[in-house]
Amino acid sequence: MNKSKQFKVLFRTIFAAVITAVVIGGLASTLCSAEPKSDTPPPKTQPTPPGTNSVEPKANSPATRKAPVKIQLSGAELYSMHCNRCHPERYPTERTAAQWKTILLHMRVRANLPAEQARTILKYLQDNSGR
Amino acid sequence: MALPVRTAAAVDEQQFNDLKALVTNLVLKVETQDQRIDQLEKTHAQDAQAHAQDQKLHEQDQQKIQALEQKLGETQQTVADVQQKTAVAVPVEPLSRMPLDEATVNHNFQILGDAEFQYAKMPGQHGTFLLADFAPIFLYRGGDNILFEAGFDFILQNNAPNSPGATTTINLSFAQLDYILNDYVTFAAGNLLLPLGTYSERSAGWLNKFPDNPLARSLVPGNGVGAQLLGAVPIGNAGKLFNYAVYGVNGPSSADGTGNAGALDLGGNVGLRTDNAVANLHGTPSGGARLGVFLPYKPHYDLELGISGQEGEWDNAGTHLWTAGVIDASLHLGACFEAKGEYIQSRYGSDDLGLIHTQGWWVQAGYKLSGLNLELPGINNLELVGRYDSLHDGLGTRTRRYSVGYVYYLTNTLLFEGDYEFQSSTDPSQKGDQFILQLSYGF
Repeated sequence: MNKSKQFKVLFRTIFAAVITAVVIGGLASTLCSAEPKSDTPPPKTQPTPPGTNSVEPKANSPATRKAPVKIQLSGAELYSMHCNRCHPERYPTERTAAQWKTILLHMRVRANLPAEQARTILKYLQDNSGR
Repeated sequence: MALPVRTAAAVDEQQFNDLKALVTNLVLKVETQDQRIDQLEKTHAQDAQAHAQDQKLHEQDQQKIQALEQKLGETQQTVADVQQKTAVAVPVEPLSRMPLDEATVNHNFQILGDAEFQYAKMPGQHGTFLLADFAPIFLYRGGDNILFEAGFDFILQNNAPNSPGATTTINLSFAQLDYILNDYVTFAAGNLLLPLGTYSERSAGWLNKFPDNPLARSLVPGNGVGAQLLGAVPIGNAGKLFNYAVYGVNGPSSADGTGNAGALDLGGNVGLRTDNAVANLHGTPSGGARLGVFLPYKPHYDLELGISGQEGEWDNAGTHLWTAGVIDASLHLGACFEAKGEYIQSRYGSDDLGLIHTQGWWVQAGYKLSGLNLELPGINNLELVGRYDSLHDGLGTRTRRYSVGYVYYLTNTLLFEGDYEFQSSTDPSQKGDQFILQLSYGF
């Protein structure tokens, strides 16, 4: 195998290693910062005072089970979720309210966004739009 | 009481006593009157004093009123002077009429798009500057549910050898009318950007972090004339969604009408022939679809997967089918890391070479160095990118390309990109390394 081919094989190996390192490094740094960690200890349950007739509620009883919280994403959250996927962030003040309405129609088709999310994003952009 | 009449004779005691009583009464009366007069004089003096005070206050009020009138006169003079000066400096213009709520304006026209300027050094060629692309997009919104959009590519190219000068070519990259039927269905028709993968719709031009297209994109058409239904359905409230697109287009065609493999033309069947006949070049249009799912964990953390395909006749006789399938994926892990790619496969029958299988894939990743939190000048605007391309054209040529590069964000819409591409191929004419610098502006 001549030197040119050897160099190319070596370069491909190094290139693949660099790309892998970048990918793994990027994954590691972003995953490590993804999960918020808390140092606070879990709350201790209060013991029932002696001599009372009260019964400690069970952990999974209807009284203690929290109702599931419906997450409603705000316009700003949907905007950062969808409007940064393909291009750098565009600032709401760059356009007027009427212009954003046109652009959102274009983006709704281009990115194939659900109608309700598109409307929420549009309201956020119009509320913060330029003159 | 009348005094008794005086006579020459002497006054008796009774008369004297009556007279004495009378005088006493008169003295009492006089004293009483004197007291009353004293009181009246005192009262008069008090009244006079009060009057004097009132007079004094009145005089003070008069002085104040005079001072205020003087100030008012001075203020009016100042206002008059300012108005005179303003009228001289700035001609009075009527206020422009502003709509009460600009968001309700029902028609709106805009130009978006991008432009790219390059310095490129291709294998075996001299390095050169070039206007790589000027791609305006016209948007016209005619109401809440109707949008017409069209994109052009302006290309500046040398004339043929021995012909001086250059020629500007304008290509219509897409032109479609979008009509929103309801929250889940949008109808689009025209020269459509095809949803074979996501590259054509979302990664072309300044959206691409590399100055050229992935090799495998040459296996599928980027646009086609036809009609499409598309829409998206949210899954839950956390941003997940499922989207779809179903379309029919004229489809690929044969450049010379034959079914020979080399005649396959992915973009030349637009419905109007050069002899002005309005006709599809073959008997049956092609159909295609894409299904996709978007799974966000939270903003900037998401995964998108999609599968798409198209099939239809391609030769004039209608004896051969052209079929393509694309799997696309995109991953974001934080605001700094992005990876995406496509796997593309196509196959088509031919008269001369039988069934031809093509395949290609590309994957690229980018990492913004702002994620390292380094306090170095300029580092936060820099993104390192890498891409791997592979293409097998089904006719015996295999090409591989490694690209490393960067994107420097001068602003959020002005990008300075550069990359070095190491390309190897079984076709000697496609072999060689290239170096491209690009200034890309999205507007």
